[in-house]
Amino acid sequence: MGLIEHSFEDNFITTKLDQVLNWARQSSLWPMGFGLACCAIEMIATSTSRYDIARFGAEVFRASPRQSDLMIVAGTVTKKMAPVIRRLYDQMPEPKWVISMGSCSNAGGPFPTYSVLQGVDKIVPVDVYVSGCPPRPEALLYGLMRLQDKIRKESTVLGPKKVIMAGQTEPIVVGDGD
Amino acid sequence: MLFLAKFFRTVFLVDLLKGMWLTLKYTSQPAFTFQYPTERRPVAPRFRGVLRLQVEPETGAQTCIVCDQCAKVCPDDLINLGGHREPGHKIKVLDYFDFNLSRCSFCGLCAEVCPTKPVKALIMSEDYELGSYSRDAQILRVDEMYDGVPIERYTR
Repeated sequence: MGLIEHSFEDNFITTKLDQVLNWARQSSLWPMGFGLACCAIEMIATSTSRYDIARFGAEVFRASPRQSDLMIVAGTVTKKMAPVIRRLYDQMPEPKWVISMGSCSNAGGPFPTYSVLQGVDKIVPVDVYVSGCPPRPEALLYGLMRLQDKIRKESTVLGPKKVIMAGQTEPIVVGDGD
Repeated sequence: MLFLAKFFRTVFLVDLLKGMWLTLKYTSQPAFTFQYPTERRPVAPRFRGVLRLQVEPETGAQTCIVCDQCAKVCPDDLINLGGHREPGHKIKVLDYFDFNLSRCSFCGLCAEVCPTKPVKALIMSEDYELGSYSRDAQILRVDEMYDGVPIERYTR
């Protein structure tokens, strides 16, 4: 970091508090498994030893929203389920992120009907949309890495900066936030 | 007698050792985890990834004839394309090709009806790394649709 980096002896690191916090946050994302449909099977497959989501520090699928940082909404969100998702999202402690997995939770998928919510972003703020029907386990891991990219850009202590979801390639940091 | 057998099984931890032996048998096997960002698993030949437009391999000319069949067959009306005629050319020139990825269920009907030969204009490619930060980014425009467009991959 800046001027004083590499100016000390070995085994001595200088860094920003933000970077340390973001590093800690990105590498221990505890997901709340929100399996609603067939995407849940791929989510489960991602946590098995073949794909091993534990390599990204996100293997602890919690059954309780109070212990989780990341909500993976995997599957069709029906209008009956929507209030429950919102309630569980509200129960999660800050900081919290949401991955929308699969076409159904992205935009309603092949169900433009009266009973299906047309995109989970109508009720909770979604950070990363993973497309696929269902996405391969690799695609979910890719989405997780995209989220880690985003978390790395967030500012926590010094002047909270808002990271908005924009662009296919890079999360864009805007302004000084609220 | 039955009680005695149960007693010895408990004292000598037979059930525990049986379980440990089963675990031990599997520990000698090599790990079969795919180290995903560095190691990519080959996809099945029939795998249907994201939709891609193909061009003529040698010349790079457009193969799409703007017949609108893919847009008609799509069950969710996700494809929107159009073109115009130019005086000298026989085929229409593709102006725009918008593909709404967010709703796509990767059924492959659009690629199936594509009539161009020998190079199919529309194929289901092998790209599956589709993660975006917004719903706007999920609508692929024509310049993001061509086959061979580099997909941002992680190498870490």
